[in-house]
Amino acid sequence: MNVSRKAGFGTHILLFVLLSVLLVSFQKQAYGYLQKELNNIRIYKKVRKGVVNITSISITYDFFYRPVPVSGVGSGVVISKKGYIVTNFHVVGNARKLEVTLADESKWPAKIVGIARKNDLAVIQVSAPAEKLTPLKFGDSKKLKVGQEVLALGNPFGLEQTLTTGTISFIGRNIRDSKGRIFRDLIQTDAAINPGNSGGPLLNTDGEVIGINSAIISPTGSNIGIGFAIPAHKVKALLPGLLGGWSKWLSYLFAFLLLWFLFRMIFRNQKRFY
Amino acid sequence: MKLIKSGAGVSSIILLTLYMLMLPFFVYAMTEDEKNNIELYKKVSPGVVNITSTVLERDFFFNIVPRQGVGSGSIIDKKGHILTNNHVIEDASKLEVTLSDGSKWAAKLVGTDPDSDLAVLKIDAPAKKLVVIPFGESSSLQVGQKVLAIGNPFGLGQTLTTGIISSVGRTLRSPTGVLVEDVIQTDAPINPGNSGGPLIDSSGKLIGINTAIFSPTGASVGIGFAIPVDTAKVIIKELIEKGYYAYPWIGATIATMSQYFASVFGLPEEGAVIVSVVPGGPADKAGLRGGSRRLQVGNHILIVGGDIILKFGSKKVTDADQLIRLIRKHRPGDRVQLLVMDWDGHKRKVDIVLGERPRSY
Repeated sequence: MNVSRKAGFGTHILLFVLLSVLLVSFQKQAYGYLQKELNNIRIYKKVRKGVVNITSISITYDFFYRPVPVSGVGSGVVISKKGYIVTNFHVVGNARKLEVTLADESKWPAKIVGIARKNDLAVIQVSAPAEKLTPLKFGDSKKLKVGQEVLALGNPFGLEQTLTTGTISFIGRNIRDSKGRIFRDLIQTDAAINPGNSGGPLLNTDGEVIGINSAIISPTGSNIGIGFAIPAHKVKALLPGLLGGWSKWLSYLFAFLLLWFLFRMIFRNQKRFY
Repeated sequence: MKLIKSGAGVSSIILLTLYMLMLPFFVYAMTEDEKNNIELYKKVSPGVVNITSTVLERDFFFNIVPRQGVGSGSIIDKKGHILTNNHVIEDASKLEVTLSDGSKWAAKLVGTDPDSDLAVLKIDAPAKKLVVIPFGESSSLQVGQKVLAIGNPFGLGQTLTTGIISSVGRTLRSPTGVLVEDVIQTDAPINPGNSGGPLIDSSGKLIGINTAIFSPTGASVGIGFAIPVDTAKVIIKELIEKGYYAYPWIGATIATMSQYFASVFGLPEEGAVIVSVVPGGPADKAGLRGGSRRLQVGNHILIVGGDIILKFGSKKVTDADQLIRLIRKHRPGDRVQLLVMDWDGHKRKVDIVLGERPRSY
């Protein structure tokens, strides 16, 4: 009797497992979303608050040397509650005035905090209150694999909060832009990246930022399936310098010490010849 | 008791069934996503048709030259109704529909609505040849969910492209200058010839009609737009019944309240100003007044003095486009109360019966 009861219990467990498996599969059909879709939807809801639109007003001169204001669009990633936003240097580089639109459509003026021209990165700061800012988490971009799925969020052609997906096409691409500058170690992706996506995040399927979308190769100027992002580890490495703070003073100190030793060596050597 | 005693046997049977259930996963070695795509393509693609329209044009010497255009469409019922875009069939003198089995059918136009860029055609194919694409819901769409587009890009029939919903709730201006609301944005490659084709979700339901792309080059850059099916459903029903869609109207030309005038005249900054009313139209009957004075400010001639609509029903009116949006939510014949203000600052309530917009208007 005891034995049979145990066996009954075992079958019950098995039946339960089977039923729950069936239930889960039915539930999936009821929702009508695939696992991948559910993940995309979840990430978009989580991440969109941390992506901002950047409108830059720059001044160019027309044929008669009259100043003409030109406005450009780009995207940015919120990285701290203090209002720091990472974007591309080419989005903010020539700007006279910067305006940041948060996900809730509130507009804030912004100022440039730091730039890394050679890496096409910049950090700007908005004075929005901390509760309006949702910083995004940076992931490990050294462990990426070709073929893994990525999501890009941004503001292509001014169409704000646009989500596109694709896969990683190549890792560690070096490209040269029209001015002959070389950008190294970029992530290549086939997610649709267009003008205006610049400065926006490239995300992995955990919703972590693995890159900053910054360039495309295209004969037409718009997406043909070849986009590039600056990997997150490069951004993280450059961030202390971009944010300034103590590291800036430390580098000044190092420079000063270096000069000091250099001069001392020169003058010491010269003393011998007196 | 015997049954329970053979518990090990039962469990092994269950395990075996589980294994057999999972067998397809091992055999095909395709991801859930791929299998879903393949299944949907098999299910839905017979319901997608290619539309070839022949437009007669005259060349420099006034000789008649036929020009052919391609588009896509979806079969929406067993009677042979086909949903497509207005710009696919516009001005066509001859329409030909190719089903997925390669058979060609002459189509006739049932109804068209240039304002929403939708049209319905009909072919006399037997019901067994017609595979209907079921309608879904576009109100509960989520950004990030998968979509598939099937169509005829550049004449390459029955092409499947996939992507995700990039954004919902965009506003698009149709070729006639009228705003289409809640447009779906997708990164599935949509190219010329995809127009009129279905955008379907991962359960094979039609959620949108691929209509436009944003592109500096004319080909897909990953930004495509589809008219939501919820908007289309209402219009299709009337197109099949009457051949046209009756838009509600108030019979007045309206403009957005200018901030400058608002500050100068001490008027509310939000509202729609009536520029002129159509004689005998609903606004005229309700006693609304159009502008009476012409003012020139810089290069602009403005007509001022018309009533300012502040509220439509219980909703606040912010600008002219929004008022049109509010009117669109009603049907001809509905009675709505407006809160109106004249340029002296007197507010009054006006009851208006919405009319049916003349088709040539």
